[in-house]
Amino acid sequence: MLLRGLRRGLALLAILVVPGALTAQTATGTVRGKVTDAATATGLAEAQVLIVGTRLGAVTTGTGEYVLTGVPTGPRTVTIRRIGYAPVTRTITVAADQAVIVNAALRQSGINLSEVVVTGTATPTEKRRVGTSVASVDSSLLTKAQAVTLDQALQGKIAGAQITQNSGGPGGGGISVRLRGTNSFISGSDPLYIVDGVIVDNGSNQLTDLGIRSNPQNRLADINPADIERVEIIRGAAAAALYGSRANNGVVQIFTRRGTAGKARFALTTRYGTNELREQQPFNYYPFDINGRPIARFNYQNDIFHRAQTTEQNLTVEGGTDQTKYFLSANVLADEGIIRSTSSLRQGARLNLSQQLAPTLLANVTANYITTRNQLQAFGEQNDYGIMGSLFFAPTSVDFRPANGIYPLPPTLGTNPLLAIDRIRNPQTINRFIGSAKLTWTPRPNLLFDYTIGLDGQSFEQRQFVPRGAVLGTAPLATGRSQSIFQDTRVVNQDGVASWTTRPTSKIELRTTGGFNYTQQNINTTNAVANGLAPVGELVGAGSVFAAGQTNVELRTLGFYGQQEFAWDDRLFLSAAVRYDASSTFAPDERWQAFPKLSASYVVLENRSGLLNSLRVRSALGYAGSQPSIVNAYSQFVAFGQLPFAGRPGFVNDITFGNPRLRNERAREFEVGADVGFLNGRIGLEAQYYDRLVSDLLFFRPLATSTGFSRQFAPIGTMSNTGIELLVRTTNVDRKNLKWESTITYTRNRNLVESLSILDFQSAGGYPNRIRAGQPAGVFYGSYAARNCVTGALLVDSLGRYRRSNQTADMGATLAARQALSGGTCNDSNNAVIGDPNPDWMGSILNEFTIARKLRLRLLFDGVFGNDIMNLSTRAQNAGIASNSREFERELLPFGDPRKLPAGFNARTQGIFQYWVEDGSFVKLREISASYTFDQPVVRKVFKDGIDVTVSGRNVWVWTNYSGFDPEINLFGTNAGGVGSAQTTAADRGFDFGGYPIPRTWSISARFTY
Amino acid sequence: MRIIRHGAVALAAACTTLAGCNLDLQNPNSPTAEQVTTSPDGVIALATGLQGRYAAAYGNFGYTAGLVTDEFAAVSAALISISDAEQGAVAPGTGIADAVFNSIYRVVRTADDLLAGADALSAQFDAGTRSGLRVLAWTLKADALGMALQSYQQAPITTFGLTEPTYVNRTAALAYIRAILDSANTELTATPPSAFFNANILTPGVSLPNMLQMFRARYARMANDNAGALAAANLVARTGTAAFSQFQFPAPTVNPYAAVTGGANGIGPRDSWRLALPASDGRGAYFVTVAAATGRIGTALDTWARYGNPNAPLPVYFPDEALLVKAEALANQNAIVEAQAVLDSVRTDCTGGRGLDDPKACLTALPASQTQTQLLAEIYLQRRFELYGTGLRWEDVRRRGLIRGPQAAPATPQDGQRCWLPYSIGDRNANRNVPTDPAEPTASLLVPASCPTP
Repeated sequence: MLLRGLRRGLALLAILVVPGALTAQTATGTVRGKVTDAATATGLAEAQVLIVGTRLGAVTTGTGEYVLTGVPTGPRTVTIRRIGYAPVTRTITVAADQAVIVNAALRQSGINLSEVVVTGTATPTEKRRVGTSVASVDSSLLTKAQAVTLDQALQGKIAGAQITQNSGGPGGGGISVRLRGTNSFISGSDPLYIVDGVIVDNGSNQLTDLGIRSNPQNRLADINPADIERVEIIRGAAAAALYGSRANNGVVQIFTRRGTAGKARFALTTRYGTNELREQQPFNYYPFDINGRPIARFNYQNDIFHRAQTTEQNLTVEGGTDQTKYFLSANVLADEGIIRSTSSLRQGARLNLSQQLAPTLLANVTANYITTRNQLQAFGEQNDYGIMGSLFFAPTSVDFRPANGIYPLPPTLGTNPLLAIDRIRNPQTINRFIGSAKLTWTPRPNLLFDYTIGLDGQSFEQRQFVPRGAVLGTAPLATGRSQSIFQDTRVVNQDGVASWTTRPTSKIELRTTGGFNYTQQNINTTNAVANGLAPVGELVGAGSVFAAGQTNVELRTLGFYGQQEFAWDDRLFLSAAVRYDASSTFAPDERWQAFPKLSASYVVLENRSGLLNSLRVRSALGYAGSQPSIVNAYSQFVAFGQLPFAGRPGFVNDITFGNPRLRNERAREFEVGADVGFLNGRIGLEAQYYDRLVSDLLFFRPLATSTGFSRQFAPIGTMSNTGIELLVRTTNVDRKNLKWESTITYTRNRNLVESLSILDFQSAGGYPNRIRAGQPAGVFYGSYAARNCVTGALLVDSLGRYRRSNQTADMGATLAARQALSGGTCNDSNNAVIGDPNPDWMGSILNEFTIARKLRLRLLFDGVFGNDIMNLSTRAQNAGIASNSREFERELLPFGDPRKLPAGFNARTQGIFQYWVEDGSFVKLREISASYTFDQPVVRKVFKDGIDVTVSGRNVWVWTNYSGFDPEINLFGTNAGGVGSAQTTAADRGFDFGGYPIPRTWSISARFTY
Repeated sequence: MRIIRHGAVALAAACTTLAGCNLDLQNPNSPTAEQVTTSPDGVIALATGLQGRYAAAYGNFGYTAGLVTDEFAAVSAALISISDAEQGAVAPGTGIADAVFNSIYRVVRTADDLLAGADALSAQFDAGTRSGLRVLAWTLKADALGMALQSYQQAPITTFGLTEPTYVNRTAALAYIRAILDSANTELTATPPSAFFNANILTPGVSLPNMLQMFRARYARMANDNAGALAAANLVARTGTAAFSQFQFPAPTVNPYAAVTGGANGIGPRDSWRLALPASDGRGAYFVTVAAATGRIGTALDTWARYGNPNAPLPVYFPDEALLVKAEALANQNAIVEAQAVLDSVRTDCTGGRGLDDPKACLTALPASQTQTQLLAEIYLQRRFELYGTGLRWEDVRRRGLIRGPQAAPATPQDGQRCWLPYSIGDRNANRNVPTDPAEPTASLLVPASCPTP
């Protein structure tokens, strides 16, 4: 029903927006000109030119030029804005069919209070009016990153954001964005993503087991970074209250590029790159076995990893008239992974169309179609057929090369990685359409109505083929498996806003805004699995034992909001708002919740010259919520589950007892901050302090298992995040032939589980971590190596092996025996907090040099400090079954060798989890690039803006003491939380277990414009 | 003002007409409690679910009991908590400590749901079907509680509708188990299950009367009620396919033993069990295959012959358990000759004249004139060999005072290494009535201990 309505609506809009269907009846003129940088006199691209009081606007081209046609005659005000520059306003008089030239030289400004933001403010609002910090990143910063995905491109550029590439797979890997710490256990950690007003899905669940928590790719990867004009990020409840029950983790709003009026302009960017493993891990290559006999050992890393290639082509066309503007793009990205046989191919096309339907009515339509085809291999926590698990668990003495055409299997665990590369297949196909239609009606200059309808439709097919005899262990997997899973995800979003502005006196402005939002999200999944495969044939039909399944999940969210803003003398801005929200997830009695917010901003100084140029102070208080993710959409119901037995259908009670009083998590956040400009705009500083408290945190409350139930979703505690964010922009050198700018971010967050109404719990099933009141979320908790309480020396047994704190055999059966052994009470507890995966602070430095206007150099360093990582990969290497680590090698050394470790040393450390905790601090040279513009007249004859050639590198170098492949990779992280009944929370981080290493990427690209 | 009004009306209309904005959704994936418990089809499906849960609990119990006695050890890929358990160390909160308890009480819950459903819909079931449902629920609930009794020093017996069930001692629990088995027996006798029940509800391959009588015999023996044990054991059929009740695991379902033989939970049979058998004993090849495998902490392992195939059926009991119970009851009553005859029928079971694929010792008969003590020791030994992997060994070593305490590798454990499992953390976290974990007695390989009961 809804779908039909939607289709009809889209069809209607398509008819309405046929170019030229309507023309304005009034007399108009043209405004044109060039926008330059006041310091260098070079043209400034991507400056916004707006005619105040109308919806007319243009964006400057690469040379800084713009044309605005169809400007109504009479006196008009033109404002010109660009990120990083102080805006300029001019008053002109437009005559019928005449052109007015408006050139402007913009002065650089570290702080721009006139920048217009939309996110969190309901309608376009200057930053000066907003009491919270809104981070905005424009396209120039994103495209220079030469990143495959948007979230990759944002790494190191936003204070307050921990953007982690959890895996290095092709097509961008799995990336998590965490704004101001962990704010929920069950609702995931990722912010709400909105593209052109459409809430989009950023799921990372894999439909087959590619490593339960490995998360090879998150679906933001479908969006082409080159299509993006601007990204706005609001980080917490104070800023995001208008997004109500989904905004606890912040909001990332993405705006794609709009066409500008003028003749069609073509831009083609082509890129070639290589991906390579940064460095191999050490393994045991000792040429003797435990009995001292010679033995051949193999380095499988040479067989698993290779130098992979990436090509990317991106074509954009834009242009239009005063009535109709268009932006078209097409993109092909072919990205090979550094693990052989993995790759990602993304093909996408976009049409953005803007049509003036009437002088007061504007339609914007966006349509984006993407096809992503991935070929993946399992990694992470997958020890049956995962490549990385097999690498870490296989003894180096196995010759994996095929004999008589048959790949030998490892002795005890995993598969043969060569076999996996050669024969195991995990193809995915994602076909996705993201479209939106927005109608803006301004019946009067001070009255605005906006209505947006958007659709994110995704069809995701994942297949898996594991041939017969490819894995160790028991059937059915050993008999081969083929599966095909289809998932259809649909998010339909409707948004309406009305806003009315009045000026009762010349100094006071009042704006009243009201609106609604309705989101309907459906996920329908069908799967077919076959075991017992025929020797030939990879599809499900090749099987002999079949299983199938189907689930449908729906989630609806409805919200209304109202906001009153008060402005005095363009200096003091106060606003109050409330959102009233309901979600189908929650019980009817608990469903409707109010999320209020208050915000104040005061501009103390602006546009002064000298030491202190501008100063604004701001503060806000707001509430937001979060819902359990869609897989838990029915948690309010007491349900029975299927348990077929002996070929018959059976029911049993679901061990998760429904909660008929389920309600959402609620965050309260207070933020205070300032924007300061120094030294004639050469230094800009944005700083804020925030304090967030999340209450009614949802998690499984344990139920007495003697009742036959195990748990129930219920509010179980409170958690806080407090922190500081700093962003400093400086222009260090600004001469005609040399410009040097720096951007520095600093982020410090302190997470604390304030209270729990249940006992401490292990948040990641099977992993030594804890949610514990009085500790940061997700601390490592487990066994430690006991120490002498007086000297602090490690206690060892007669053979020189450590004593494991929770082992009676090591520590004695009674407390008295423990204390006697320890010389005190320091080892009394069996387990202890042994690490904290939350960083102390994060920071980044971006340096950009422009030499002779043509050569641009960029260096981005970013770093994370003070976080711990549990290196379970090396632990796997050390396991007796693998015995392939360098440390295990030391057990094999002859007696008398000073490096010799006692027999069983490594078997003992297996159980001492503290032994595997390492400092995960790192600094990465995240981006390095040099680009040169060839704009000689001969070149410009063919290519209007010249040719930009860029050589760049990503993840080029890492400074760290961490011994694993990469301190950034993470077993959990991407969208953790709420994954069915698997106990995983957003707090789970810092476990390195068979992750896909992040490649070092070098690329060369060229951009041609016509 | 008119424009504002029109705008507001339009916005509200857009929401209500386009979407409906109905927030009351139903779950299309799982039925609600009401849908299941108020329809005959739902209640019948509960009976199937109950049998599935019982099989899972039995698997967990047998697996854990085998680890903390001398039957099983962790294979090389197993989790550390499993190799700890094989050495007698079971930490509270580990999966191995909780799985037995939790799966047992899920059986109890489903049995109670089934009893409630069979009563609530009594008008819609014929008498024989209702009786079958009730007898099945009581029988499986009783044996589930019996597994709790064999794993924990105290156990809850009344749980339905409670949030914090209380624990009772073994004597009270055993009395309760026998009482519900007797109720089942009374009902079964008064109203035999209908043909509809036997054909469509009871799992094919299982005989409800035999299962019930076997359990009655088993728990009568545990209560040292020799007369009761003898009477019930005599009611267990000796011939025909019904004598050997087995659960079936058609693909893609997997026998619980096969499920824990490979991968991260992997266990394997210790070769010490096979080596303890007389060389000619046919039961070795029945259960295991000789293999040169080594476990996680160096234990020499065999591989499963019986449960290596994931679709192998799981015996609910081995038929000769009834004979061994009978022999023991007779021996206790000092009927030595009769006892020896019954025991010899187990020892000499060779050709499978009864047509059952059950373990066959194929040994010679015992020499004549055994003493009572010798007979009881031989019964104990034959129980070890005949009832391999059923978990019953744990109670046998416990009742004979043969708990040897934790045996760290490389020592090979003998008999049993623990008296009890620690109570489930899952229950402790939400139930204030959970007793403190009982202390394990100090024991050694040379000086075994018996387990104190409260």
